[in-house]
This record gives sequence, C-alpha cells and structure tokens, in this order.
Amino acid sequence: MLYHYIYITTLIILAVMLFACLIRAVRGPRVADRIVAVNMMGTMVMVMIAVLALMLNEGYLVDVCLIYAMISFLAVVIISKVYIGVYEERLHRTQSSDDAEAEGGVSDGSR
Amino acid sequence: MGAVEWIRLIAGCAFLICGLVIFFTELFGLFHFRYVLNRMHAAAMGDTLGIGACMAGLIIFSGLNFTSLKLLLIVIFLWFASPVSSHVLSRLEIATNENLEEHCTIYPDLETLEAELSASDTAGRDGQPDEEKGGAL
Repeated sequence: MLYHYIYITTLIILAVMLFACLIRAVRGPRVADRIVAVNMMGTMVMVMIAVLALMLNEGYLVDVCLIYAMISFLAVVIISKVYIGVYEERLHRTQSSDDAEAEGGVSDGSR
Repeated sequence: MGAVEWIRLIAGCAFLICGLVIFFTELFGLFHFRYVLNRMHAAAMGDTLGIGACMAGLIIFSGLNFTSLKLLLIVIFLWFASPVSSHVLSRLEIATNENLEEHCTIYPDLETLEAELSASDTAGRDGQPDEEKGGAL
C-alpha cells in the first residue's frame, strides 16, 4: 500500500511537469525549441510508463516503454532531417525566383 | 517489514526523488535560458541522468527479474540515442537560423578557434601541463 502511494505521487508530479513542458512546446519561438520540448515530454512519458508497469504489476508495459523510446528517437531524427530538406528547398526556390527577376525574364538556358 | 525491506524502500525513494529533482532542473533550464542551443544543454541532462536515476529507483523497487533488465536496457538505449538526437537537432538549428551571429560566436575555420584556445590555455595555467604529463608517464 505504501508503494502504491509512492507511485501515485510520482505520477502526479510527472504529469504537472509534462504540462509545463507542453507550454514550452506551444510557446517556443523556433522549430528546434518545439522539438526539444517534445523530446523531453517523451522522456517523461517513458518514466510514467515504467512506473505504471510496476504499479499495475504488468511486465509487458516495459516493452511498450522500450518501443516508445525507439520511436521517439526516430521521430526526432526524421523531423529534423525533413525540416532541413524543406528549408533548403524553399531557400533554393526563392533564390532562383530572385535570379529570374534580376535577369528580367530572359531565359537563355545558360543556367 | 524487515530491515532489508526498509533499506530497499528508502534507497528506491532516494533515487526516484533524485530523478524527479533532475527533471525539474531540466524544466527550469528550459524556461530560464534564452536560446535553443542553451536550452538543449539543459534538456540533454534529463535524457541520460534523470531517466537513469528514475530507472535505478524503479529497479531497486522491482528486484532482480526480467522487468528490471528491460528497464536497464531502456537506460542504455537512451545513452546512445540522446547524443545523436541532440546532434541532429543542433544541426537543424544551425542550418535554418539566418542570424546566428546574434546568439553565438561563429568560427568559419577551425584553425582560428584552435589558436585562440591554445593561447588562452597556456596563458591560463603555465607549467601545469608539463607536471601532468610527467605524472601520467
């Protein structure tokens, strides 16, 4: 019964910190801010799942936690790579349109 | 409850509270710093040390079985995954920020930075590297 209260208290503290982290994710001025906050939320959720696994005495929840860690890592890497690609493509498009305006619409096929 | 049970309870609670304090420090750093690269410095702490302390407390609660082995596996996985994700995130920030000079100093070539670092190193502590080298050898 004592262990039950310990687990409940840990879960409540983690939930409060999770909401504070969500505020950072919404307010963050840059994209990297939001990804850092979401990554941190993932870490806290991992601890919550592990606490739940011991509280409910269900061993398979730890497997869920392990898969959650892997998917969280994969999400951060893929979102970062995709955003770098999107940004560079947008930059390239604006630069080429600027060049076209500077040339006065003349396209001689040299570029 | 016997003495071993009490020791287990107190040690597990100590590790769990330590992990929660580290998570709170991480959150405080996330709101306190002004720029993403500084915030990342605070946020990388919880990925390794915070979850490590929490999982150590839970392993002590759980005892020796397969559940605690899997908890250890999560911590070991995060030790490898957290630096990689931090690296990719900082590359994202540096690639997409157009006015990075407002926040930090940029060295276009590494030789300038190395020259500055070695100059400050010899000015900061003179004579100590020779003693350290002699002691190590």
